[in-house]
Amino acid sequence: MRGPGRLARFGAGVCCAVLLAWLAGCAQLVPQTMSLRTQWPEGVPQTVEWTAVPFFPQDEYQCGPAALATVLSHGGVSVTPEALVEQVYLPSRQGSLQIEMLATPRRYGRVSYQLAPRYTDLLREVAAGNPVVVLQDVGPLFTQWHYAVVNGFDYPSGTVYLRSGKLAREKMPFTYFERIWIKGGHWAMVAMPPDRIPVTATEEGWMAAVLAMARVDQGNAATQAYAAALKRWPDNLAAAIGLANQYHARGALADAVAVLREARQRHPQSVIVLNNLAQTLSDQGRHAEALAQIDKAADPKSPFASDVRATRQLILQRMGQQKAGNR
Amino acid sequence: MTSTMKKMTCRALVVSLLALSFQTANAGLIGADQALAAGAAQTERGLVMSVLNRAETAAQLQAQGVDPTMARQRVAAMTDQEVHALAQDMQTAPAGGIDGAGWLAIVVVAALVWYFAFRK
Repeated sequence: MRGPGRLARFGAGVCCAVLLAWLAGCAQLVPQTMSLRTQWPEGVPQTVEWTAVPFFPQDEYQCGPAALATVLSHGGVSVTPEALVEQVYLPSRQGSLQIEMLATPRRYGRVSYQLAPRYTDLLREVAAGNPVVVLQDVGPLFTQWHYAVVNGFDYPSGTVYLRSGKLAREKMPFTYFERIWIKGGHWAMVAMPPDRIPVTATEEGWMAAVLAMARVDQGNAATQAYAAALKRWPDNLAAAIGLANQYHARGALADAVAVLREARQRHPQSVIVLNNLAQTLSDQGRHAEALAQIDKAADPKSPFASDVRATRQLILQRMGQQKAGNR
Repeated sequence: MTSTMKKMTCRALVVSLLALSFQTANAGLIGADQALAAGAAQTERGLVMSVLNRAETAAQLQAQGVDPTMARQRVAAMTDQEVHALAQDMQTAPAGGIDGAGWLAIVVVAALVWYFAFRK
């Protein structure tokens, strides 16, 4: 074999190796964008853009309030970024923290749900009409956190559409979007009306999100959220208990009993269901039925044993009063 | 703020948060959150710890420039885990918001480099 041929082949080999390494490097840099090429999520259109999503050009530092105002307004809450500043903005950090971004929508009866850190989940939510708040590192040299709202994408041209900062329609390549999204751990959230469950939500994750909202909102939103969750996951105990408690709190005792009886069919061993059913029946004046229920819950090893004892005591006391009254 | 002032604020927050957390309890009924945390009933100790954590986190928010009433309401919108997490890393967690300042810093640095290195 002659020298120049070998050299050329060697050169080609080195070029190939460098090219491969570079490609592999790219795949490392934007792993999820690369996997979208071969696995586009099923049932998601390649082009979506929700132009009706409102836009609030942000003032200095205040992309957190602006991003929240965008998704909340889209979900039917009338709120401005200015009103959200004192609820989410942290003056000393000149920005907004993720935890508070999740906490604030609850005060408006919306359920905050943090998405799984997956490009496909983001695309699914946007395709389903839920604008997604994302955390980006937009610093050119050093870290600079920024919130923006994804309201569309066009895969054939490789573009993600965002409401971001002063730009009403920022266009960003899929790869660049992932690059600046990756550093915040692919963090993304949606803020949903209580009766709408995100398409990517898991039962466990969504129930935790609903309970977090119900802590704050004791009104209608919590009831709606529990009812919607129970409809979607009829076997979910927390949803049934939550719905019944909401009915009880507003005096709809018959509705509460109906929900609890259904729950007892599905969870015959649940001490919580028996205790709450007994309490509600007793509140309706049906003390004998209540006593029969609470006696089934007499398990001394249950973590709710003291609650059960207290309920039983109350029922017996009421029965005693009733007898005394009849005499 | 002086330390006595801080202590007073803390105490006021503890009392107000205690009042807040016991109001919502529904007489005789076990809450839905207990159904989710299967088997792990909330103990009195857990409840007190949660209230104290909330007061501390609210005080921290206040120290970061948030209005006292607002700080309390902001903490009230969080779950116990969130309150705990926030108290841990309020200073270090990503705070989205700075826009444009990075470019400004670069321009300033470039100007300084030019001024000292090239301008004779």
